[in-house]
Amino acid sequence: MTERALNDVLASAALLVTCGPGGVGKTTTAAALGLAAARAGRRVVVVTIDPARRLADALGIEGAGSNEPHLVVDAVEGPGSFSALMLDAERTFDDLIRERAGDAAEKLLANRVYRGIAGSLSGAQEYMAIERVHQLHNSDDFDLVVIDTPPSRHAIDVLEAPDRLVLFLSNPIYRALTMPTRSLARITSAASTAFLWTVKRLAGPKIVEEIVEFFRSLSSMEAGLRTRAAEMSALLRDEQTAFVLVSSPRAEAIDEATFLAQALGAGGFGLGGIVINMVHPLPAPLSAKLTTAFAKGKVTGPLAEQIGYHHELTVLAQAERDEMRALVALAGDAPVREIPLLDHDVHDVATLVELGHLLMNDA
Amino acid sequence: MEPAWITASRVVLVAGKGGVGSSTVAAALALVAARDGRDVLLVAVDGKPGLGPLLGGSALTGTEQVLRREPGGGRVRARSITPQQAFADYLDLKGFGSILRRAASAASLDVVAASTPGMEHLLVLGKIKELERTRAADLIIVDAPPAGHAAPFLRSASALQEVVSSGPVRQQADEVAAMLADPARAQALLVTLPEETPVNELIELAYDVEEDLGLALAPLVLNACWADRTALALTAAVAAKRSGTTLTAADRAALQGTNSFGAARLAVQREQFERLDAQLPLPRIRLPRLPAPRLLPHHLEMLADALVAQPEVSA
Repeated sequence: MTERALNDVLASAALLVTCGPGGVGKTTTAAALGLAAARAGRRVVVVTIDPARRLADALGIEGAGSNEPHLVVDAVEGPGSFSALMLDAERTFDDLIRERAGDAAEKLLANRVYRGIAGSLSGAQEYMAIERVHQLHNSDDFDLVVIDTPPSRHAIDVLEAPDRLVLFLSNPIYRALTMPTRSLARITSAASTAFLWTVKRLAGPKIVEEIVEFFRSLSSMEAGLRTRAAEMSALLRDEQTAFVLVSSPRAEAIDEATFLAQALGAGGFGLGGIVINMVHPLPAPLSAKLTTAFAKGKVTGPLAEQIGYHHELTVLAQAERDEMRALVALAGDAPVREIPLLDHDVHDVATLVELGHLLMNDA
Repeated sequence: MEPAWITASRVVLVAGKGGVGSSTVAAALALVAARDGRDVLLVAVDGKPGLGPLLGGSALTGTEQVLRREPGGGRVRARSITPQQAFADYLDLKGFGSILRRAASAASLDVVAASTPGMEHLLVLGKIKELERTRAADLIIVDAPPAGHAAPFLRSASALQEVVSSGPVRQQADEVAAMLADPARAQALLVTLPEETPVNELIELAYDVEEDLGLALAPLVLNACWADRTALALTAAVAAKRSGTTLTAADRAALQGTNSFGAARLAVQREQFERLDAQLPLPRIRLPRLPAPRLLPHHLEMLADALVAQPEVSA
């Protein structure tokens, strides 16, 4: 039904990013696409942030992420390979600090404010996901890196994370705090004084000292972080980077996915394909004779219940196809795959392979 | 008449994994309480403006709007709360007005939030606590962020208690933690689908919420349940015979297709109920699977009717 297939995208992309609303099977889709590419001979690593436990188990990345690629043994024969990695944002951040902050590194790593940011700052996780992907992309170990992003609005966060970091570093308060001064008293910026005074009143003086120390230490890394952010921004817009939008046929999901598709286009990111999971199959139609008899109340008993269910599914499946139209229209020449609602969970290599077949249309 | 759990607390935090329909359940719950004559405030914290249109209003903003008025005097008001709004309100409340003008731009909130982990969540929960303390409504229903984000959201107060030892932030964290731990003030309504992964995540979230935070749990809500249709277990030919008729081969095949599909979904659903019986034996409420991909106002009425049913007690 489309000219290009996902097979072509998997064969040529160096980085594949799955994004979409929550609860539509993004993580399993990312893993299935990665496995399909590996089976086609590529060396693949799938980076995931928050996989469901059974899938994590099957991929051998259960428990705290080691942050290193883990080869999923026996998944692939031949020249390709399939690895999975559970992102440890805190550890990636720590490594970045050690690499870039020089003498200030140890002090920074012990800083309470830094620990808070590394562990839980919304945005830090997204930034570190891209940082880790960048490292894997530049290593010679893999032909294809697949990254599974957190849901929807946060997917945009992932794309914007490098730019946002630069914005954060350009914040006037941050600039004032990192001026080369020896004591707090010499900070002359009204904004930063007011800011620190506010924080001091809110959270106590100890936090203020640590904030100042944190920003001072970070300043030694600033140039490096800016360069890296620019590199990552370019990587995400590279022609070998493909975004695969994952949705379900539910209206809220379609609305969010449509918004994302437009945001990708506006941001200069390349759409590699659209996958719509959990689509109800369109039942084969019943004869007019039977439908009429049913409508007139002439069918009773268990057959009436069966026909009622057939009718309900038909209406639902048709309505889903109507909802999907708006999203499919945005695909352009990118392939679109509809995956039927499966009657089992996808949580091991065998079911991932099966899902891969459905995605590749070679079941 | 509302079942007892709905009136057990002044705040209900509705949470579930993305895609399970927790916003819809929050809206249906608001409708239930308003029908019973209560003044309900529906709060969206994750920037979901869609709750407004669902109840016949416009997209939610920081300014409150009345979405529904029920014949018995009950009504549904709704608004969103963002960290930015909550921050501005908080500074006002604490007399930081003049400072606010100079320093508390959106950018400085970024820095405060970055410097103080959990701060954004705490600001929002703090605002909800303030609304609860001042009795801003008979019932405050919060559409919490999706699971994955729900646990950090709910845990922000206890996380900050560990980092901040004194000052207004500490006080705020203490007050929020106290509200969450008091079953007369707050309870969590957890929503899931009768499918494997959503049920796994529900079980994790439930233990997190109850053990870590001492937050009382309302009955579990199982959304989008298929109706039990025993006839789907029969072949189309047998069903036709029992109904005293015969089918063409094409009709038989078409029905057989939907019968097998339906029977498989029901089997998955049954299995999940059994797992919940074994692993999270709490009272639960089944909501019907809606016959359309887009939620319409009359669907919401259907869900409200189903929410009022007495919770099933697990086997």
